[in-house]
Amino acid sequence: MTRPVATPARPEPSTARPAKQPANLAERSWWSRNQRSLAPYVFVSPFYLLYGLFLLVPILVGFYLSCTEWAGLGTPRWVGLRNYRDLLTDQSFWAAMGNTALYVLFTLCVVVPAALLIAQALNARGLRGRDMFRMTYFMPVVISPIVISVVFGLIFDKDYGLVNATLQAVFGFGGVDWLGDPAWARVSVVILVLWRWTGYLTIFFLAGLQNVPRELYEAAAIDGAGPVRRFWDVTLPALRPVTAFVAVTVLVNTAQIFDEPFLLTQGGPGESTLSVAMFVFRAGFQRQQLGYAAAAGVILFVVVFVLGQLAMRALGVGRSTR
Amino acid sequence: MTSVTMPETASPSSAPATRTVPPRRAERGRLTGRVLLYAFLIALLAVFALPLLWALSASFKSRSEIFSYPPQPLPIPGNLDNYRGLLDGYPFWTWLLTSTAVALISTVVSVGLCSLAGFAFAKYRFRGQNILFNVMFSSMAVPFAVIVVPLFIMIAKAQLTTPYFALVVPWVAPAFGIFMMRQFVEQSVPDALLEAARVDGCTEFGLFRRIVFPLLRPALGALGVWSFLTSYNSLLWPLIVVSEPGDYTLPMGLQVIFSATGRQYDLVLAGAVLAAVPSLLVFYVLRKQLLEGLTAGAVKS
Repeated sequence: MTRPVATPARPEPSTARPAKQPANLAERSWWSRNQRSLAPYVFVSPFYLLYGLFLLVPILVGFYLSCTEWAGLGTPRWVGLRNYRDLLTDQSFWAAMGNTALYVLFTLCVVVPAALLIAQALNARGLRGRDMFRMTYFMPVVISPIVISVVFGLIFDKDYGLVNATLQAVFGFGGVDWLGDPAWARVSVVILVLWRWTGYLTIFFLAGLQNVPRELYEAAAIDGAGPVRRFWDVTLPALRPVTAFVAVTVLVNTAQIFDEPFLLTQGGPGESTLSVAMFVFRAGFQRQQLGYAAAAGVILFVVVFVLGQLAMRALGVGRSTR
Repeated sequence: MTSVTMPETASPSSAPATRTVPPRRAERGRLTGRVLLYAFLIALLAVFALPLLWALSASFKSRSEIFSYPPQPLPIPGNLDNYRGLLDGYPFWTWLLTSTAVALISTVVSVGLCSLAGFAFAKYRFRGQNILFNVMFSSMAVPFAVIVVPLFIMIAKAQLTTPYFALVVPWVAPAFGIFMMRQFVEQSVPDALLEAARVDGCTEFGLFRRIVFPLLRPALGALGVWSFLTSYNSLLWPLIVVSEPGDYTLPMGLQVIFSATGRQYDLVLAGAVLAAVPSLLVFYVLRKQLLEGLTAGAVKS
């Protein structure tokens, strides 16, 4: 893994170089004269080629499909904006939108602060085993979602699950139907989101905290600022870029949430945990309503894209460092 | 946060302030703080590790033991029946091979393409650079759900649903990877070195191959693990695009066993444990690079 792309040959010895290079500038080819200004275009072109083929074209096709009715066979039938009109009156779609909004709000308001808190704890001076903690907390993201779904399906099981057994042992009550009751199913999905992503976000905050100069804290302490004051006036401002990055990532990614509800509850019971991405998947690949699925995709695209861009602008993420 | 500096290392100016608290009590407060801190971190350790250990333990249990009440923490007596049943009944090794091969190919290609593009964005000034960068960067905010239906149709129509095309080619140049690489090139490749090589007659691609690429080694590791894990663990896209059972990836295969006949938890758990081995191995070997690589973009800009 040290060198994934093999370099074909070692650079030839420098004595060979002058021979390769024509002494007279006029003899050099057009390419070698202009290579410095053309090189960046050549270097970025593979990305834009793939971008065009596998992102731009599908988006455009998606816009077209969203105005058709199509079950995958024959030719799509143009229906104008009917899919959009139907979506706006579709209870399932609104349920999916509501659930997705809930997941996004939960991640922003609970997962992100929890990650910040854990990062604070990990940043304590002289902490032993920091790397071990950090690594273990990160592990849920490394594991395949299918593994997670199987394990959590077992743990949340109503009759045999570890959670209910523990509740029973500790509080004498453990009859929660985690995956079968609409409200508890939402809670389960949200717990899974918390479990899976908190450690991931923690490493961003920890990296940010480790970049805050210690002198700032010492100076604040000398000025008589207590721990709380230091957190608000030193830590939070210093973490601004990281927080901005995390917030935008979380917003954009959670708005597209699919794995957790799909694997844990299949969107159910009923439609209580259905997300918009699952709605698209279900309409497109289980119900063969390709046009309808495309229209829901377009709505999700517009919402996520606009929110993402607004958040990036507002928080200044991704600007060049120069 | 409590200060844990030893009295002798504390700066002289803060010493009088600490003296107002009797030394004994301060010492004890510090100790309680430490104990609470470690208790908190170890409790979290359990929260994050327990489900995975639970899966490991359950994979050695028989079906009835998995669903015994109250749940048994350890598989006593443990057996390998689940593993045997999985390996005998399903083409597990084929799935593993497909997943690993697809992930490795994606990784090699995307590391190359992303570092090349990241180098261009970091070290060249060219017309349209800002627009191109913004287009690239904002593509991260395009939900997969919007392209999934049309992309599937395109690939199905072109009859390219083989895993080695459909699971690799559309995903080999992730914008996130380019962004990460740009951050790294800006930090670790000095302009003077590039200029010196140019004076010596190095071509622009030669600069990349001989100077930038070797200097980026830690970053390549980071992007490498990231893209390996992303590809190896992906589930939704393979479920959509791959239809031949012979072409299944590992997560797909497990999903199919899981959803097909009455939730075969026993077999799937064994498969889940085996499936996690390569990802955990890759993660363990390259954890430093990955964690630092992921945070490079967030902290620096």
